[in-house]
Amino acid sequence: MASENRLARAAWVGTALAPALTLLVVTAYIPIVFALTLSLYYRTAFNPRLVWAGLDNFAWLIAQDALWAALWRSLVFTIGSVSLQIVVGLFFGLLLNEAIKGRAMMRSLVILPYLLPTIVIGLVFRWIMNPQYGVVNQILLDLGLVSQPINFFGGLKEAMPSVIVATAWQYGSFAALLIFARLQAINPRLYEAARTCGAGPWRSFLDVTLPNLRTTLLLIALLRGIWMFNKFDLIWIITAGGPLEATETLPVYVYKIAFQDFDFGRATAACVVMFLILLAASFAYFRFFNPTKEVEVGR
Amino acid sequence: MTAELARRWVRFTALGVGLIFIVFPLYWMILTAFTPRAFLFRPPYKLFRLDLSLENIRELLSATQFLTFMGNSLIVAAGAVVLNVVAATLAGYALSRFRFPLKQTFVAGTLWTYMFPPILLAIPLYLLLSGLGLRNSYIGLILAHVSISLPLNIWIMWQYFQIVPLSLEEAAWTSGASRLRALVEVALPSAFPGILSAAIFAFALSWNDFAFAFILQTDIRMFTLPVGLSTFVEQSAIHWGLIMASSALVSIPTFGFVFFLQRYLMSGLSIGK
Repeated sequence: MASENRLARAAWVGTALAPALTLLVVTAYIPIVFALTLSLYYRTAFNPRLVWAGLDNFAWLIAQDALWAALWRSLVFTIGSVSLQIVVGLFFGLLLNEAIKGRAMMRSLVILPYLLPTIVIGLVFRWIMNPQYGVVNQILLDLGLVSQPINFFGGLKEAMPSVIVATAWQYGSFAALLIFARLQAINPRLYEAARTCGAGPWRSFLDVTLPNLRTTLLLIALLRGIWMFNKFDLIWIITAGGPLEATETLPVYVYKIAFQDFDFGRATAACVVMFLILLAASFAYFRFFNPTKEVEVGR
Repeated sequence: MTAELARRWVRFTALGVGLIFIVFPLYWMILTAFTPRAFLFRPPYKLFRLDLSLENIRELLSATQFLTFMGNSLIVAAGAVVLNVVAATLAGYALSRFRFPLKQTFVAGTLWTYMFPPILLAIPLYLLLSGLGLRNSYIGLILAHVSISLPLNIWIMWQYFQIVPLSLEEAAWTSGASRLRALVEVALPSAFPGILSAAIFAFALSWNDFAFAFILQTDIRMFTLPVGLSTFVEQSAIHWGLIMASSALVSIPTFGFVFFLQRYLMSGLSIGK
């Protein structure tokens, strides 16, 4: 390394970073800047000319009842889904942490839903929870738990909870893996100490396990909160925002403005509103978890 | 000893409930895929059956556009893998081996793109690619997929190069190798598991993507599998046996990754999407 001068090193850095930087600029930074600009213009598919709109798109947006309704549904969906994911994650995290037989197999099964294509999860849930042919309804009827088949994704009241269950099935794994990793790192002496103080399993869960999981759970809530707030594909595949607007969260609302009304100015303005909400969450994320920490191995 | 017995029972029950929760939807997908057509529209269904057939798979491959969609998916995923591996490996090397100005900004910038709502990227990409005549093209969708997978992969490669010891490269330098030669002959082979993880993630994110393909590909001949499958539900000629058969086939790569390549997944899973 001694033989390299500063120029040669700069050339190395430049060359090695060039492909990644070019791709990021072309596929992410330019589109994002373009979208931010677009929110300040009138721009529809029928009138491709850009006309300055100032904050008109935002003014229009704020006056829409549909926006506030979608924001409310987004909050219900995000909080409901993340809470259920954490419940599922705790269940499987704790289960994996027990010295059960076939733990490796169980861990593979827990990872599986997370990596399946969203289309598969959407279609499988539509099939098993189908009111006419769905096996879930068949089992519920056989067990006498319900007297009428439940219209899971088609009922006004049932649709949102049913979609939330589908997302928890897919993403509970993420929480489970992080929780499992954290549980493995808890010092077993803490449990011994709790036992000698006379704590039962429930008491030591409350006093040892939960405090140790606190940071992990906060991290999961933040990350998954951001991603569920942005979730479009699974909701669209299962209900397309319906029935009526029962599952129309913000991303579905934005999609409809952009690709059904073809009003790109207003749609990007709605994106900016979403992004501003997320920005606040991202700051919180960087406070809890510093991803720029690194281990130096030379220079 | 009753407490220990109770604990074992709780553990056993929890294991059973957990297994059913995860496995049942997948079991039902696979069972439906192999259920003969004659039984598909006659509930109640048997929860177990042995009279399985390949009827649905055969019909799927011969009477639908499944294979066209699969070809498109494979081409797009291959493109995304190549771009990701080249760009992320080089960037990871630069980030771990050099100190340079704005390094923290670059890393923060890549992670930031990861936080953007996909729909915020999809609208401008739709307009820009339309303007360039690249909507309904392979390259347009490949670039869209790179936008979601590259930040994650730069992160994976950067982390991976940090655990490849610099001393190996230094040994090569002292024996007269140039930096390029040390990179190609020493650093890259040691970083191979990381490169494989990056390739798997690039493939999986592209193969699984619904949103970008749904928005950018409007011509049915250019549909990838997820978008193609979503149109099956609306087609009256296509029944749930075919839909579950196609779902099962699309899931094969996932099963492969989870059961055979799992150790390469763990680095990315902890920050996955």
